[in-house]
Amino acid sequence: MALDTIVVGAGIAGLACAGGLRRAGRTVVVLERARRVGGRCATRSFEGQPVDVGPMFFHGHEPAFLEALGAVAGVTVLEGWPHRVEGSGPPCQPGALEGFNRRFSFAEGLNAFATHLAAGLDIRHQTTVARIRAADAGFEVTAADGTVFRARDLVLALALEETRALLETLPDAPGLAGVRAMLGMFFSLPSLTVIAGYPIDGPAPPWDLLYPDQSEVLQLIAHDSAKRRDPRFLTLVCQARPRWSRARLDQPMVDWSPELVEAAGAVLGPWALRPLWTFPHRWRHARVDRSCELAGPVHVTLDRGQRLGLAGDVFAPGGGVQAAWLSGSRLTAALLLKERA
Amino acid sequence: MSTMDEKLNELVERDRDHECPGFGPDRVCVRIVAVAKLPSRFGDFRVVAFWNNRDQKDHLAIVHGDVVGAQEVPTRVHSECLTGDVLGSLRCDCRDQLETALMRIGGLERGVVLYLRQEGRGIGLANKIRAYALQDRGLDTVEANLALGFRDDERDYAVAAHMLASLGLGSIQLMTNNPDKVSQLEKFGVKVASRLPHLLPPNPHNRFYLETKALRSGHYIDFTGTPHLQEQSDPVLVEGMNNK
Repeated sequence: MALDTIVVGAGIAGLACAGGLRRAGRTVVVLERARRVGGRCATRSFEGQPVDVGPMFFHGHEPAFLEALGAVAGVTVLEGWPHRVEGSGPPCQPGALEGFNRRFSFAEGLNAFATHLAAGLDIRHQTTVARIRAADAGFEVTAADGTVFRARDLVLALALEETRALLETLPDAPGLAGVRAMLGMFFSLPSLTVIAGYPIDGPAPPWDLLYPDQSEVLQLIAHDSAKRRDPRFLTLVCQARPRWSRARLDQPMVDWSPELVEAAGAVLGPWALRPLWTFPHRWRHARVDRSCELAGPVHVTLDRGQRLGLAGDVFAPGGGVQAAWLSGSRLTAALLLKERA
Repeated sequence: MSTMDEKLNELVERDRDHECPGFGPDRVCVRIVAVAKLPSRFGDFRVVAFWNNRDQKDHLAIVHGDVVGAQEVPTRVHSECLTGDVLGSLRCDCRDQLETALMRIGGLERGVVLYLRQEGRGIGLANKIRAYALQDRGLDTVEANLALGFRDDERDYAVAAHMLASLGLGSIQLMTNNPDKVSQLEKFGVKVASRLPHLLPPNPHNRFYLETKALRSGHYIDFTGTPHLQEQSDPVLVEGMNNK
């Protein structure tokens, strides 16, 4: 069966795009490498206690985005979280904490947004895309296990570098060369991350989020358990700065994970050096820099009328979850508009 | 203080708590926040600063003569182009267009230049340089340029229309080579009495317009072989040019 659209990547951008297409009556399949949806908007569970691993809170001002977040059912919205912000270091997205942005979190974890967006979608989990090619009047997408998917249109909604790598498997076509060259001028920033669990009755930081003043190692420490109801553990999420992360990106986790905990201890005091447990995560493409933003999603029509769309946090201004969601929903609008024209 | 200064300062007072549903799809709303004299090499002007509810870019109106409440005011809408306006880049004609507008209006009884701070929608200067880099590599693609954030004309028209309404202009004579600009502004309620062609005087830098008719993908190629970008939303016309 040939589909209308294949969306690669069930992150926020891919889900926003696929959901919009499905609501407009299109047949869509979403191919996702992981077992979960949400991509970087990730929440893990430790003995039932949620911990956010990627973004620590939502922030934004676009009415459509805030409306989409408002539609998530069954969550406790922590309006204004983080309430207590300390340190003079820069937030991941400049402006995140400024007045024109609303900010909040979910007590159940930010990934609830992704689960909400994924409802009703045909998502093929643990499906890694190996290559794409233009075939007939459509696209042929081959998964690593050899399964082939066919659709008229293709949307790539991955981290920028991953989208670029997949585009490389597509033969040259008019319009593609410029897009490839343009994407080559953009990049994302890595962040090595460690979640550390401590006894709930021990010392607790007096803040929700700390941006250390002069750390070469730490971008932020989030007091994640401050978001939870009846937490079993005090949990801190330590996210490392881009340069420090890049230098250790290909080293084993056991090498850099203790270094990150040590850096947290240096900031917070000796108690932070002895967590009950730690969980490292390598964000190879954590976020885009403010200098790396496009005005909108890209869509190219190839010679047989098949359309290739690109979405993700680089494809809208402002960065973060808002940019990812906006890029996906704007791509949907653009694809549907062109269809009618 | 002249009556004209008084009139303009009254607009600052009036706009203190101005709020409206906004213009265009972005519902942009502007307020006149400050007015001052701006004598320039082009004549005797006043500069009017506009706050807006969408970004941190304050727009300007450069005003000559008594325009508040006036009819058929010669008006030019100019979009910010740092590389052209300030640095004198020859990749575009922005500086010629701006100077010509100011010079012409400075010699008339009255007129307005709206200076819109919309370089690539506010995220665009670095991306504009990226677009130049793509051109340098021989690439010139619509999709790439759109994604990089080239001018959002509709947004420009909405801001311009609100600014003209705030200045209380009865009607304007729009200085443009783009008839579409007239209808776009009219769509936002601007009364356009007539259109004045915006002809640039010939100079060594724009002489190629007179000498070449060849367009490559819609762009003129200048003497250095660089495609000339149309950064303002109307085509370049140089006096003596045989256009259409």
